[in-house]
Amino acid sequence: MEILVCVKRVPDTAENEFTINADGSDIDRDDLVYSVNEWDNYAVEEAIQIVDRVGGKVTVVAVGDEDSEEVLRREMAMGANDGLLLADPAFADSDGRGIATILKGAVEKGTYDLILTGAQSDSGAGQVGGMLAAMLDIPYASLVDSIEVVDDQSLKIGREIEGGNREMNSIQLPCLLSIQTGINEPRYVGIRGIRKVASVEIPVLGSAELGIGGAAVGSAGARVKRLDYFVPVLGAGAEMLEGSTEEIVDKLIELLKAKGGLK
Amino acid sequence: MAQVIADRRDVDFVLHEQFKVSELSKHEQFAEFNKKTVDLIVNEARNLAVKELLPTQKIGDRVGARFAAGKVTLPPEFHKAWQLFCEGEWLAMPEKLEYGGQGMPRLLSMAANDYLVGANFSFMLYAGLTHGAGKVIEAFGNEEQKRLFLKNIFTGKWTGTMLLTEPEAGSDVGALNCSAKKNDDGTYSITGTKIFISGGEHDLAENIIHPVLARIEGAAPGTRGISLFLVPKYRVNPDGSLGEFNDVVCTGIEEKMGIHGNGTCSLTMGGKGNCIGTLLGEENKGMRAMFLAMNEARLHVGLEGFACATSAYLYALNYARERVQGKHLLQGKDAPSVPIIQHPDIRRILLTMKSYVEGMRSLLYYVAYQEDCASITDDAAAKARHHRLIDILIPVAKGFVTDRSFELCSQGLQVYGGYGYISEYPMEQLLRDSRITMIYEGTNGIQAMDLLGRKLSMDDGQLYLDLVAEIQATIDRAGQVDGLAECTARVAAALAKLDQVAGHIGKAARSEKILGAYAFAHPFLDVFGDVIVAWMLLWRAAIAAPLAAKQSKDTAFYKGQVKSAEFFTGAILPVTLGKMEAILAGNEAAVEIEDASFGG
Repeated sequence: MEILVCVKRVPDTAENEFTINADGSDIDRDDLVYSVNEWDNYAVEEAIQIVDRVGGKVTVVAVGDEDSEEVLRREMAMGANDGLLLADPAFADSDGRGIATILKGAVEKGTYDLILTGAQSDSGAGQVGGMLAAMLDIPYASLVDSIEVVDDQSLKIGREIEGGNREMNSIQLPCLLSIQTGINEPRYVGIRGIRKVASVEIPVLGSAELGIGGAAVGSAGARVKRLDYFVPVLGAGAEMLEGSTEEIVDKLIELLKAKGGLK
Repeated sequence: MAQVIADRRDVDFVLHEQFKVSELSKHEQFAEFNKKTVDLIVNEARNLAVKELLPTQKIGDRVGARFAAGKVTLPPEFHKAWQLFCEGEWLAMPEKLEYGGQGMPRLLSMAANDYLVGANFSFMLYAGLTHGAGKVIEAFGNEEQKRLFLKNIFTGKWTGTMLLTEPEAGSDVGALNCSAKKNDDGTYSITGTKIFISGGEHDLAENIIHPVLARIEGAAPGTRGISLFLVPKYRVNPDGSLGEFNDVVCTGIEEKMGIHGNGTCSLTMGGKGNCIGTLLGEENKGMRAMFLAMNEARLHVGLEGFACATSAYLYALNYARERVQGKHLLQGKDAPSVPIIQHPDIRRILLTMKSYVEGMRSLLYYVAYQEDCASITDDAAAKARHHRLIDILIPVAKGFVTDRSFELCSQGLQVYGGYGYISEYPMEQLLRDSRITMIYEGTNGIQAMDLLGRKLSMDDGQLYLDLVAEIQATIDRAGQVDGLAECTARVAAALAKLDQVAGHIGKAARSEKILGAYAFAHPFLDVFGDVIVAWMLLWRAAIAAPLAAKQSKDTAFYKGQVKSAEFFTGAILPVTLGKMEAILAGNEAAVEIEDASFGG
């Protein structure tokens, strides 16, 4: 099975304190530690496991600048066979539809049976997978937490439903699935894997190679534009608890007891 | 959440900007380790450390190693961590590929271990000792011993230890009683008891391999009659499979101040007359073998202490930024309280910690880097010079670094106030855990004696002269950098003073004033280490100062490098100069005082 997994380089939430930048348009990205988007990492692990079971190949693809190469290489060290970086100055500030458009260009360069994305990334929109599926006119399922290959025509997939319920679906190949965390336990990357990909050249495709016009992507093509980015002001009745985690927990318990939430 | 264990920007600075690790990849031996590979390895070491090892740190302390009926069991969480650690092949990073190593530069392995050891030092002690045992077999084992043991050790399938200490033979190894009797088949029957054996018994791996110091029956007393043997917990058949139990019995573990996750065992060998070992190296050359393995072991202990200090610094820094307490000194009593990082005394503590952590990180990485430089050169003179630099810096990397690291843990605990003293917070564990590093692998008193009594005068003082030339080269470079004139002058003055002190105490150590000299061996190690830290901070500042003037995402980091050098040379080095005066004054009261006059 030929599987394409879309991955993104994001700030590592385990190792950063986030602050709003000086002009209030984004988080301050200077001096952040970056890693692969957590949901995407589960998707890559799932793809590797599927290929281990039924054969085939895993390709990881990222839209980003040259720094995104490190997450592609990392996922290849984990076990993906190929990497593909989609980089072009014209791609900067694309909205979700723009990113899906760029990815569509890459998908059409290959023959993939299955495309996986993470359920969401740092921006929290969770939109690229669905848009990409629609653009490709292939079936799509979101929040997938189990995949079973039935045959070369279809998969049986599990989906996480609000309230802790699950549903099982049959879905025809080729298709696109957005992967929920918890579907598997992603492996750690060992030194041997890293050494294997040390000298691998990862191809870079820009707008010309992908046949994408400037009007469809980037800032010019974005139909969703961020107007502001901020920490919400305290509303009436809201109280921000300050101090260390332990202190905050103590205060919270105190408040819950005082308000009758805890006896 | 903010960064924990080690500041990634600082690790990258030392790797890429100070020692230019990627340039090692120009040599065939390290060709794979280009910048992308280096960065990925540090990323993944940090990933494993933060996500899997760090959560086991407190469990190791609270649950600890448990002893019952001759068996030591470790917390279940250690087993999963060990499996992941071994799967990633992190145990023998710089060793040869053929024996299960990964062939990476030692400098890079130091950065990876910065995170791994910092995440759980008592857990990583199993790995460190296993690696050390493998190194001994690699250096002194015959082909059969290497074939049977080495790959299983370097991949963590089996673990290793080092059996030196006995009840009456601690720092004085030559006093040991453990005996070996040669059998007709060339093996030796081992009998004796060893104590304080880290990782001597546990349930992490199916076999434990013990290099053991023992005296062959009839051999000379003292260190001249000591041989080194390979003694497995379970015997190993010629086909590599496990054989029968080898009569190595754990009789108990110590209740310790720290590193509870690592069982410190008493082992009895041959209690039933059935413990068989094979000779490692030559008969009666055991101490020589130990010395050759010692540099690496001591550097690793330096890293263990340091790992506690760098963790303590980041915890203290994060806490100081979050903890709101007290008014700013320049604001009125009605002003809102501020994070404690705004208080001058806290800033002094933090900058003390920052400058020492940075200087000591550079020192430890530098020693590892010298190993790499020695391994890639064919020039015998250059190789010898790299080894001389390693030799003179080992007692500093072990003794000085672990002394200071304990102090830094204490300073970090102070930032937390009362919360630092309670077990809910990580500081008291770091303080307790770090303390052992000043004791084992040769106490820091032994390290000080090694520096003064051996290294300073070795090769007619060439080790020391090489080091001084290195420091002087940095002083010359820094002298050309705008804004560093004062720092440079202070380091130059400290080096000149150290030169005077080294000459004075070195001469005294070879004279009838030897006792007085050795009474100041430890203070000498102390000032020696401070000068090394000043050297490293000046080196860093010389790189950072020109970059600090340009606006970039790294401006604050580079400015911080210059401030570390300014603070250390301006606020700490003057105290060091005072300590040097005390050494020169050579007060002999410690030697002269009668035993009875100590009172008690």
